[in-house]
Amino acid sequence: MNRRELLKVASVLLGGTLSASLARGVLGESIAPAGELIAEAPLKKISVLCEMIIPKTDTPGAIDAGVPSFVAMMVSRWYTDAERRIFFAGLDDLDTYCVGHYAAAFLQCDAAQRIDALTSAENAAKNYRGSSFAFDGKSVDPNTPFFTKLKELAVLGYCMSETGSKQFLAYNPMPMRFDGDYEFAKVGTEWAW
Amino acid sequence: MAEVVTDFDAIVVGSGITGGWAAKELTEKGLRVLMLERGKPLEHGKDYVTEHMPPWEIPFGGRPPRELYAAEYPIQSSSYAFDETTRHFWINDKDNPYVCEPDKPFHWLRADVVGGKSLLWGRQVYRWSDLDFSANKSDGHGSDWPIRYADLKDWYAYVERFIGVSGQAENLPHLPDGEFQPPMAMTTLEKAAKQRIEAQYKNRKMTIGRVANLTEPLDNRGSCHYCGVCQRGCSVGAYFSSHSSTLPAARKTGRLTLRANSVVEGLDYDAPSRRISGVRAIDTQTGERRRYTARLVFLCASTVGSVQILLNSRSEHFPQGLANRSGTLGRYVMDHTSGLAAVGVSMEFPEKYWYGARPNGIYIPRFRNLGKRDADVDFVRGYGFQGMSMPLEWKMMGGQIPGFGAGFKQALRKPGGWIFALVGFGECLPYRDNRVLLDAKKVDRFGIPQVRFEVEFRDNEQRMRADINREAQAMLKAAGMTQVIPVGVEGPPGSAIHEMGGARMGRDAADSVLNAHNQAHDIPNLFVTDGACMTSSSCVNPSLTFMALTARAADYAVAQLRSGAI
Repeated sequence: MNRRELLKVASVLLGGTLSASLARGVLGESIAPAGELIAEAPLKKISVLCEMIIPKTDTPGAIDAGVPSFVAMMVSRWYTDAERRIFFAGLDDLDTYCVGHYAAAFLQCDAAQRIDALTSAENAAKNYRGSSFAFDGKSVDPNTPFFTKLKELAVLGYCMSETGSKQFLAYNPMPMRFDGDYEFAKVGTEWAW
Repeated sequence: MAEVVTDFDAIVVGSGITGGWAAKELTEKGLRVLMLERGKPLEHGKDYVTEHMPPWEIPFGGRPPRELYAAEYPIQSSSYAFDETTRHFWINDKDNPYVCEPDKPFHWLRADVVGGKSLLWGRQVYRWSDLDFSANKSDGHGSDWPIRYADLKDWYAYVERFIGVSGQAENLPHLPDGEFQPPMAMTTLEKAAKQRIEAQYKNRKMTIGRVANLTEPLDNRGSCHYCGVCQRGCSVGAYFSSHSSTLPAARKTGRLTLRANSVVEGLDYDAPSRRISGVRAIDTQTGERRRYTARLVFLCASTVGSVQILLNSRSEHFPQGLANRSGTLGRYVMDHTSGLAAVGVSMEFPEKYWYGARPNGIYIPRFRNLGKRDADVDFVRGYGFQGMSMPLEWKMMGGQIPGFGAGFKQALRKPGGWIFALVGFGECLPYRDNRVLLDAKKVDRFGIPQVRFEVEFRDNEQRMRADINREAQAMLKAAGMTQVIPVGVEGPPGSAIHEMGGARMGRDAADSVLNAHNQAHDIPNLFVTDGACMTSSSCVNPSLTFMALTARAADYAVAQLRSGAI
């Protein structure tokens, strides 16, 4: 019996979900200290999650655009300790959910199961009104839930990337004129700024 | 022994909006000018190191490095114009502290490079009218201006022709039209809002901003490219700054010497001649002290900078500060009240977008108290609104569009409606006890006493703010917004970056620092032409008035020099 099956059996015996800390201990996650590179397992998870949020379609996806390393950089270098804790707890909660529902860690689940897990993270965030970044672009609410943090960072990393700016948005740094009655259909996508 | 340098006809302290003008005017009239700037050297074009920085090169995706800002730029980082692409122009708060009380905060926003805030300003330019110049006399707050619109009218035109201002003539007596290049366009939503607001409020107008960005080439400067990042510096020179316009004009004469890294510590007064006999400066890099002499001194070091220099120049002849026989030096300091009043959300024009980043918004001129005080209003004077519409795009909406995956991704790239923001700017009355002084104990890193602020907004400003917020919401509703969100941000004094006063002009030497020509009452060779000279604050952006006063004062000063009066 491998670890995954053991956990599946255990979860039935324990009546549902394993506690988060137990799952964390078993699955060996850790919180990266500030500034250090994020360990391989969380980085792989971040990659998968970013691509789930912004998949390759007829335009490049998050992995094509370098979003995972941007997100990892922001989490390790830009976040406060408290924000980092929320983020890593959220990553762990995905495993807890998956172990509880599918007796497998998030990365070992299939696409449909992963979607289900991420959806549960989104639902957990639904009651929290507001985003991390205020209208002024400067003030930050550090208490936003995991899913909000993840999605905002993925969107930021993607839309600010060269790939995202040029192949998903429309990159036009020197417009040379201003037209305030412009038909959106003429460009068909937002400008990259 | 401090080195003494005596080669110049005039010394201009400061290289910003007014310093640049003083240098241009004085050199063009034949004077050899020394310009002393405390900030670091900066070369137009070459030193705009972030001008074309694409989004993917901006650190942290454009998000502010919070620890750095909190530690070293807690005040400067509060400005809309401060981010990682402009930080190198701004002053470091940690290295350059000042003093204010916790219950009376003042945000003193400053640059630290040649050109000063002329690199970073919002470029909105509006003339004053006699409604503004007569205000003190009419309601008794402050003292009467020694000039009226007629004294400045031709100078406004002179300045506008040189700097290049785009705008729309509206024929409003209280907001005189300028000499305009073609106006920038409004968005579809702004046009609809204008039509509806003006239909509902017969005495209100919405116009396109009057902005010092070129819509047609002027001299060697190209017209605006609509890249939307003016504050990073513009090598084309499409917006007015000392670098794009006044410094090149001064340099062309061959009579300008510019010394950066030179902080002026004080001015020396010679009693027998009743003149400023020297300007003492400290090299910010080496600590060396130098003393410069000239026949004429123009203080253009910014409102608070100039007042600080005067206060620090006290002597046995001027024990309260240079030029301060009246006791008004440092007093009657003002800033506009400002803040985002309300935001409207509109779903009305889903197929409309924009092309180009317009470096300008709309403007709703003052409609309160245009004659006698309005019946239904509990404050004197008035306010105006700057505003703009913008599509709701990924930057603001991204995290809130529900879901994830292909459908979410597609929704990211289509705007979800438009927003329309209104930011109110309210006139601040001149209060004697709103003042700037030198701290009794603390000195800065050059040994110069730190500035201490004792400035607060008072009753009239608070009542006006309530009206600003109320009317912003009402007008957005009238404009047809689907949703109106009251915001009511109220920034502390200083946050409008329109600080003025402290060395006011006046008719009476017993009650003011400067006469009708920006000349110190008792000191004929000393002129102060930056915001310090302002006797009241109006509600319109002040820089155009600062420039016009400077050009006018320079003309007067040179005439006085030539006639032997100075």
